[in-house]
Amino acid sequence: MKGSVIKYERDNIDTDVILPGPYLKIHDYAELATHAMEGLDKDFHKRVKPGDFIVAGRNFGCGSSREHAPIALSYSGIKAVLALSFARIFYRNAVDGAFLLPIEIDEGAYKDISDTDLLEVDISTNEIKNLTKNKIYKMKPFPELIGKIIEAGGLFNYKP
Amino acid sequence: MSKTLFEKIWDSHIVVEENGRSLLYVDRHLVHEVTSPQAFDGLRLNGRTVRRTDLTFATMDHNVPTSDRSLPIIDQTSSTQIKALERNCKEFGITLFDIHSPNQGIVHVIGPELGITLPGTTIVCGDSHTSTHGAFGALAFGIGTSDVEHVLATQCIMMEKPKTFEININGKRKNPHAVTAKDIILSIIRKIGTSGGTGTVIEYRGETISELTMEQRMTICNMSIEAGARAGLIAPDEKTYQYLRGRKYAPKNYDEYVSLWRETLKTDSGARFDKSFTLSAENIAPQVSWGTNPAMTTDVTGVVPFPDEYGKGNSEEEKGAEKALQYMNLKAGMAITDIAIDRVFIGSCTNSRLEDLMEAAKVVKGKKVSSRVRAMVVPGSQLVKKNAEEIGLDKIFKDAGFEWRESGCSMCLGMNPDILASGERCASTSNRNFEGRQGTGGRTHLVSPVMAAAAAIHGHFVDVRELDLN
Repeated sequence: MKGSVIKYERDNIDTDVILPGPYLKIHDYAELATHAMEGLDKDFHKRVKPGDFIVAGRNFGCGSSREHAPIALSYSGIKAVLALSFARIFYRNAVDGAFLLPIEIDEGAYKDISDTDLLEVDISTNEIKNLTKNKIYKMKPFPELIGKIIEAGGLFNYKP
Repeated sequence: MSKTLFEKIWDSHIVVEENGRSLLYVDRHLVHEVTSPQAFDGLRLNGRTVRRTDLTFATMDHNVPTSDRSLPIIDQTSSTQIKALERNCKEFGITLFDIHSPNQGIVHVIGPELGITLPGTTIVCGDSHTSTHGAFGALAFGIGTSDVEHVLATQCIMMEKPKTFEININGKRKNPHAVTAKDIILSIIRKIGTSGGTGTVIEYRGETISELTMEQRMTICNMSIEAGARAGLIAPDEKTYQYLRGRKYAPKNYDEYVSLWRETLKTDSGARFDKSFTLSAENIAPQVSWGTNPAMTTDVTGVVPFPDEYGKGNSEEEKGAEKALQYMNLKAGMAITDIAIDRVFIGSCTNSRLEDLMEAAKVVKGKKVSSRVRAMVVPGSQLVKKNAEEIGLDKIFKDAGFEWRESGCSMCLGMNPDILASGERCASTSNRNFEGRQGTGGRTHLVSPVMAAAAAIHGHFVDVRELDLN
């Protein structure tokens, strides 16, 4: 996976800013995507390109259980969110629906990665290459079960 | 081996266990209009049915208007979502408490009220505040739509076992009418942070918790998710059994259940928790949130903090506080009691039950809402509304200038006509003060029902310990 970074230097980016409440009535995923991150960054949908990564601080996706949040990010083109930590329901929704990869990174990587950096993420080696800065970071490996669900393409395709 | 209450419920619901992952049986599945349409579509697409229609209950709460129910719903997208739930429940054979049902209400208010919520059960719902039901000693947690579909189809959910976290709250509150369950849970979140409970199931314990009524315990468990926890639990006791007795869906051979619950549903002495936190209730003051997450909260007697003071050397926390003050349009150092309010919302799955309204009414009785404030009371369910009206609470609120509305999630989440205008500041008894939560540009201060009621009367926050609430 290769893409450029949209960085938000913030902790506690909640599902209400990722996909504000009024849009939970929208069923069309492409339309949902036009409102992704609207509560925090009105220009996100103009900026985001297919394959991009979001980089953020602690407790990304806290709050509501709305699956619309990872869906909106996914359909706007985001392949993975790289954050210091995730709220559990968001993490689970992202993986179960195979919408995007929730990747935990450490403080060093978080501080080093800048907005617009070009990254290459390889979950088979747990490596994140920063092609702009010519650096390599380690991501936290997925737990075994989660790795298998990701590999299967979501909960419904996973066979124990 | 000694076990915690959580471990007992978990173990008794395992269908299959392999390498630390478990398939758990789900005893109750609660469904609402917002997180279910795609799940039903998925069932149809794959030719699946609902496995246990008898254990699945639906209502509409998130986007229903709280105005006159005899009028049509003007918002087309809301109307479509509500009609979709009606169609889905009919097609799949699920009990639905629709907009005209005397049992309609916020899903987390009606579950306990109807005796659907029972001790020792597992409960899921496509809503993060499902943690509320933990007040009855049920293991209850929020799930997303993919999981909703999975539970509808299989009545099971796959999970890795969460860690256990005990929070002990001891000591007597000096004025329990002024320092409420809301103030206790906000104090906890303020101390452990919005991710302090991540990956855990919290069990709230201690004498302060034992003394709380069932409705107050629901307020505590409701906000477990705001600390990042999977679920919150309180061991059931005689108050729990009494509360549920005779409710519509409570078991008919109730006494047999109670004997079983009494025997089994408690944490064994000597059981170990992965994590522990202790708080004294003695010195808790009424709480007011000043920022944009529930941990950004302080005492009503305090001031809006300076970001560096709040951050205590953590630059991310400091930046977060700066951004929050900017959004909230507050100046560091100003007294909380100097914050002027435009709107007041008493409602939500956190604080919309009969006792919440009774406590708030004590503050309001014989007074008038400040001329600068628009205030509303939204009972959590039709039953709460009816019970409140029977004891004349509607009259007290209306005479004071409050709007008295129909049940639903209302202004908690900006999905229905009840929203804040940009820049408006609200004293709210809900659970989230996130940016834009109550409407784009709206500013939320989380408080208890008595604090919200007092703010409505005075036009700014006041220390309710100085009022006569007895």
